[in-house]
This record gives sequence, C-alpha cells and structure tokens, in this order.
Amino acid sequence: MPKYMLLLRDDRELFGKLGPEEMQKTIEKYFAWRTKPFVVDGAGLMEKTGRVMQKKNGSMSVTAGPYSESREVMGGYYTIEAADFDEAVKLAADNPHVNFGTIEIREVAHRSA
Amino acid sequence: MNDPMNELSSPVLLEHLFRRQAGRTVSCLAGLLGFEHLQLAEDAVQEAMLRAVQTWPFHGVPEKPEAWLFRVAHNHAISVLRRSARFESKAGELIAALEARTQSVENVDIEQNLRDDELRMIFMCCHPELAPDARVALSLKLVSGFSVDEIARIYMAEENTIAQRLVRAKRLIRERRLPLLMPHNGELPERLDSVLEVIYLMFSGGYATHTGEDLIRRDVCLEALRLGRLVADSSMAAPRVDALVALMALQAARLPARTDSAGDLVLLEEQDHSLWDDDLITLGYYYFNRSIAGEEMSEWHVQAAIAATYAKAKSSEAIDWPAILGHYDQLLNMTASPVVALNRAVVMVKVHGAEKALAALAPLEGHPVMRGYHLLPAVRGRVLAELGRLAEAEAAFSAALECDCAEPERRFLQRQLENVRAGREEPHLDKSSAQKTPYPGPSSTCLLRKSRQT
Repeated sequence: MPKYMLLLRDDRELFGKLGPEEMQKTIEKYFAWRTKPFVVDGAGLMEKTGRVMQKKNGSMSVTAGPYSESREVMGGYYTIEAADFDEAVKLAADNPHVNFGTIEIREVAHRSA
Repeated sequence: MNDPMNELSSPVLLEHLFRRQAGRTVSCLAGLLGFEHLQLAEDAVQEAMLRAVQTWPFHGVPEKPEAWLFRVAHNHAISVLRRSARFESKAGELIAALEARTQSVENVDIEQNLRDDELRMIFMCCHPELAPDARVALSLKLVSGFSVDEIARIYMAEENTIAQRLVRAKRLIRERRLPLLMPHNGELPERLDSVLEVIYLMFSGGYATHTGEDLIRRDVCLEALRLGRLVADSSMAAPRVDALVALMALQAARLPARTDSAGDLVLLEEQDHSLWDDDLITLGYYYFNRSIAGEEMSEWHVQAAIAATYAKAKSSEAIDWPAILGHYDQLLNMTASPVVALNRAVVMVKVHGAEKALAALAPLEGHPVMRGYHLLPAVRGRVLAELGRLAEAEAAFSAALECDCAEPERRFLQRQLENVRAGREEPHLDKSSAQKTPYPGPSSTCLLRKSRQT
C-alpha cells in the first residue's frame, strides 16, 4: 500500500487560545489518532534546533533553521498507509492538528523492485 | 519495531490534570512572586501547557507530568525575569526564590506546600474588597484552572464580560495591594465567610442550571466541593465550613438523578433515589456530623440539615416534610430572606396544604428581590393548580415564562403550562391531572445567592 508522509506545522497562536482542559483534551485526541492502525510511524522534532546547511562558493554555510523565528514551526511528522491520495487526506483530516496549524501531505516514492 | 512512539500506546492522563495543575502552579508561582506578578504567573503556566500540547503528542507523556508542567512554568518565569532584570529591581531575589522552590519539587512537604499556596490564593481571590461576581470568576480562573470560555458557559454570560471582569479584578488586586497571605485572626471570620459564600456560588452556578448536556457544570460542583474540603481540612477550619461541605456533598449526590435522559429536569419528588451517589452521601454525613460537634450554628448548618433530611429518605414518600419545614422556619428567622420564604411555602403545601401556602406567598409579591425571579410565579402556579384555580394558574405559569431562566427549567414550565391548559379544556380532569404533577422542589441552591442580595 502506498505510504504518505504528513508534515505538521504548528501555529502557536491557535494552541494559545485553548484553556487547560481543552489542552488536555487536545493531547488526548492526538494520542487517539496516533494509535489508529493506518499510522506506520512518526516523531516529533525538537524546537529551536534547526540548521540549514548550504555550500556556497566552496565553503559550507550553516545557519539556524529558517523556521525558528516564524510563526509556524514544524512540530513533527507521521507516516501513514492509504490506498490513494484521497484516502490519505481523509485520514489526516481526523488528526486534531488541522485545527492548530497545517498538515502537508506527500506521497513517499517507493523504488520498484 | 523500535519506534519509541509505539511504546506510548495511548497514555491515559489523569482526569482534569491540566486544570488542577494550572490552579496549583499559578497559586505556587504567585505565592513566590507576589500579587504584583500575578500575570507573569499566569503566563508561565500558559506557556508550560502550550509546550505540552506541542510536544507530548510526539514525545509522549513525561513520567511525572505534574512535575514537568511545574518545572517548565518555573523555568519560563525565571527566564522572563532574567530578561527584565534591568527594569525589575527585585528580579534577582525573585529568581532565587523560584530556583529554591524548583529544587524542592521532589520534597515530601510539596503536597502541604501546594495546599497552603492554594489556600492563600483562595483567600486573595475572595477578598471582600472585590465585587462578589469578580471573586467567583477569579477563583474559578486562578484557583481552579477554568478558562474564560468555560466560566462564561457556566454563568451563561458573554466571554467578553467575564474577561473584562477578570481584568478589572486583577487591576484592583494590584491597586489595593491585596496580599497573598492568610488572614489575621481579627479579620478571619469576615474573610472566611466570603470564601464560603464564593465556594457556594461556584457550586450553585453549576448546580442550578445543571442540564446533563454540559459536563462543565458537574465539574464546577465537584471543584467547589474540593475547595470546600481543602478549607475544612486546613488550619482555617470551622464548624460552618464543615456544614457547607456537607451541604454541597449531599446536594451533589443528587446530580445524577436531577435530569432525565432527554436532559429535562426531574423534580426532587420524582427522582429515583437509587441514582443518588452513595459515596457523596457518606461524605456529606461525615462532614455534617463534624459540623454539629461544636457550638456554632450557622445558616450553612440549617441548609445542610435540610439536605440531610432529604438524603435520609429512602424514597420520595419517606421525606420528612414536617422536619424540613422546621428547618425552613429556623432559616427564615436567621435570614429573613424572601427566597427562603418562597422555598418554605413549597414545603408548607406538603405539611399544611395549598390554601395556607398560597397565603404565605402573598407577602412576597412585589418584593424587590423577587422581581423577574421565575420561581415565584412558578410556585404560585402550582399552588393555584392544586386548588383547582386553573385560569389563575395559567396566568402564573405564563408570567414565569416571561422571566429569565435556564433552558431545562423553561421546558419544565412550558409543560406545566400545557398541563393546566389541557385541564381547563377538560374540566372533569381538573383535579386529578393537577395533582399528578408535583411541585417544583424547594430550590435551596438559589437560596443564598438571592438572600445575600437583600
């Protein structure tokens, strides 16, 4: 079955509107989604540790991640299995993250045997 | 698979962990930082919760989630203070205090410390210099971790109204320099009475309009009960605190029976007593017995006695109405409140009949506290219906529906009105149909709210 990668970017302002009980309920919703059978794996990304590397004129330039000061931060990713793009979108739509930022969906290319 | 996320499965968080921890951490931080930095304490807690919601879904729940939230909030407050060190002369001192406290998180005394922090916060939020509705909103927000949106839902108010109320209250705290300290002996009785009143207002906010549709109301009732017990089991203990806790526990015990599956109100007399919460009744009796151990005899004692008399009845038929009327007589003597008089009239129907009850209602008409209060015409409507005076009963129920009241109560009144109308159309059914529908039970929850305004 094709695999899809979901890239989650957070909007802190949207999270910031939640009260304590809603925060807890939201965390519980993420967990509930994470345990669904179509989820293959996933991980969070550490905040404020991004680096962008680039070779310019023969010398390596390393800068702090482009997103560290922007409003939207890449919070993590999941890999899911779905029959096609439509299904992948449908499954991702149940993730609570749609309320708190964006989810970018990319199909993972697989090598032919 | 060695994916760490799969080991998380679906971790279970303790119910209301965030709400509880928000209250405790704000109380603790504000205790260390002082009332001048209440906002910083709140911001730090918000920041900690924000980090949790952003990272826990991926990283999993930390082993000790409470300690994690506490530590992150502390660290945030420290880093804000460091940045402001140039403008804030006391920053160094405050940072040292925060650091000392963070290191003692693992300390065995932490529970006791947190309870003391919460108590100090309760007493500050309930300071008599603040307006009564501000005290309630502030307590729910700072001590109990409810959000502005939730408080607005509980009191059926606009979110903006509640937000403004909180802003004004916090400004007043700064201007009047209301400290986070336990009251002195001299001012203790007044301060304690304010705390008890606020706790009960909190409770009745959840109880009075409990619809079954919105769990937030049950949460508020149980939170008020928790705060009552916190005070009752502290150095601020007094018999009237025990009486209040008993009252709340015995009333909260009836919550599961108060609404039917459609969310409609079920009157006290029609309630299925087997649905009452036995644990809460046991708790209520425990505190009730404690409350009568001393000499003190407060309004809370009498109200608790009423609740205990109801709770004692194994079924609706077994309710000891004469005993309840005796308690109401006593309460009326103590308060001279028209709302108490109204509730007493309801009980009088049971003991002395509808004619006498109607006479007892007459002096309440035109009382300023009763203006726009739906229960006066509602009770009068029931008494008149029982006497077969259906045209007048219909007018009374219509008048009741003109007043503001919660949706389940409105539906209830509407049903009463329809019953009376049906009775008028079929005169031979008059008496029997009227008798089948019982009276609204005494609404003791509204009692203090209204009586204190007199």
